[in-house]
Amino acid sequence: MLDRVVVTGYGAVTPLGLNAEDTWRNLIAGVSGVGYISLFDTTDFKVKIGAEVKDFNPIDYIDPTTARHTDRFAQFALAASLQAIQSAGLKIDESNRYDAGVLVGSGVGGLDSVAKQLETLSARGPTRVSPYLVPMMIADAASAQVSIKTGIRGPNFSLISACATGTDVIGIAYKMIKWGEVKMMVVGGADAAVTPIGLAGFAQAGALSRNSEPQKASRPFDKERDGFVVGEGGAALILESLDCARSRGANILAEVVGYGATSDAYHVTAPLESGEAAARAIELALAEVDRDEVGYINAHGTSTPLNDASETRAIKKAFGDKAYKIPVSSIKSMLGHMMGAAGTIEAITCCQVINKGIIPPTINLEHPDPVCDLDYVPNAARAGDVRIALSNSFGFGGHNSVIAIARYDAQ
Amino acid sequence: MNVFDEVKKALHKVNPGLNDEKMVSGALLKDDLDIDSLDLVEVAMTLEDVFSLTLQEDEVDNIKTVGDIVSLIEARLKVRSA
Repeated sequence: MLDRVVVTGYGAVTPLGLNAEDTWRNLIAGVSGVGYISLFDTTDFKVKIGAEVKDFNPIDYIDPTTARHTDRFAQFALAASLQAIQSAGLKIDESNRYDAGVLVGSGVGGLDSVAKQLETLSARGPTRVSPYLVPMMIADAASAQVSIKTGIRGPNFSLISACATGTDVIGIAYKMIKWGEVKMMVVGGADAAVTPIGLAGFAQAGALSRNSEPQKASRPFDKERDGFVVGEGGAALILESLDCARSRGANILAEVVGYGATSDAYHVTAPLESGEAAARAIELALAEVDRDEVGYINAHGTSTPLNDASETRAIKKAFGDKAYKIPVSSIKSMLGHMMGAAGTIEAITCCQVINKGIIPPTINLEHPDPVCDLDYVPNAARAGDVRIALSNSFGFGGHNSVIAIARYDAQ
Repeated sequence: MNVFDEVKKALHKVNPGLNDEKMVSGALLKDDLDIDSLDLVEVAMTLEDVFSLTLQEDEVDNIKTVGDIVSLIEARLKVRSA
């Protein structure tokens, strides 16, 4: 028999808090984590806003030497993963180190480390490039560092699907555990793209909001939305087989009950307008559950004109008229776009919605858009008894990834 | 410039947790000071800058102890001043 897969812990470092609980409190209060960028001088930049993680000190989680030799994205991943392991009450030792694995992804990896060393290469030549450049920049650095720090010796790898990364890591680990390949996995996503080259690159691609009011810039599903806000951070979950969780007496927070992944096969940045492939991903995620039980959808909802319209079409295609009855919200309205971490913080939010009975809002939804006509939980949180929550993530490259998370039922 | 002091500074830069007492001449970089091959490349780069010299890869590869680094730098400085 296939194993059931449950969530037993989570952790996060976000623009709204240095842990998952603070982030949740701010989300349900409708607080925006967006502001003018402080990490570097934006004088020459058209876009000057971002959603930065504030007051993060890697030394709270790792030794100073490791901190010097890891990019900010890997530090976020380490912090979130260590929080998740602690919240799951998980002790990794000789008895279980091969039963656990790590799958922490990143959209862009150590972008800032590459950029800084390119400056060194130009200014001082190849013999002055840091020996740590490669271990700092590679996108699997986060997964590697989590394994090194925790002593976990099961499967350890990364995956990349741009802004869908944080959902695909959950989906793949879910399948691995379900099929009995591993008992437990630390899964997550992390990115630190609020850097000069990151901001310039996304701005030149026309993806970013030009809104000059930081806290109004991320406005998913609003008629005046004009792009996303670059965010950063890390998030991680502990997934394990129900058997494993029960045998160690773990507190079970939720159950992963489905995963769907498709590709638009269309364009590297623009989504398929019809939402057809995204709708298929939603249907695949719901293949083994009763779709009438879906009580909340955490939208990808980036605040770009194209995403929010095509995502709305995808939801309607998958649910038909019932789509109008399901609360859909985008927490990117508050967190900005945490890139590779987005899907994972959104999955954590789904667990919190299920357990706390509150649905976070989509803030800045002030001007209805006729093509975005679902119930987006505008501007204020509301109570909601949710048994199954969906989390949608879509990424540059045409990746559509959806997971279904259910309230844990011991039966 | 005292070579030993500069070597200690360079080691401390890559491993801020090191204290002075540990960085004795006979200390093994890997076993005693937790300085790995990547760290050693950075130590060598730092010292090249400080003393304005270029170390060869095979010279660096042969380093095992703090004293080895000091001897290498001192030998190179002697050649230069001769």
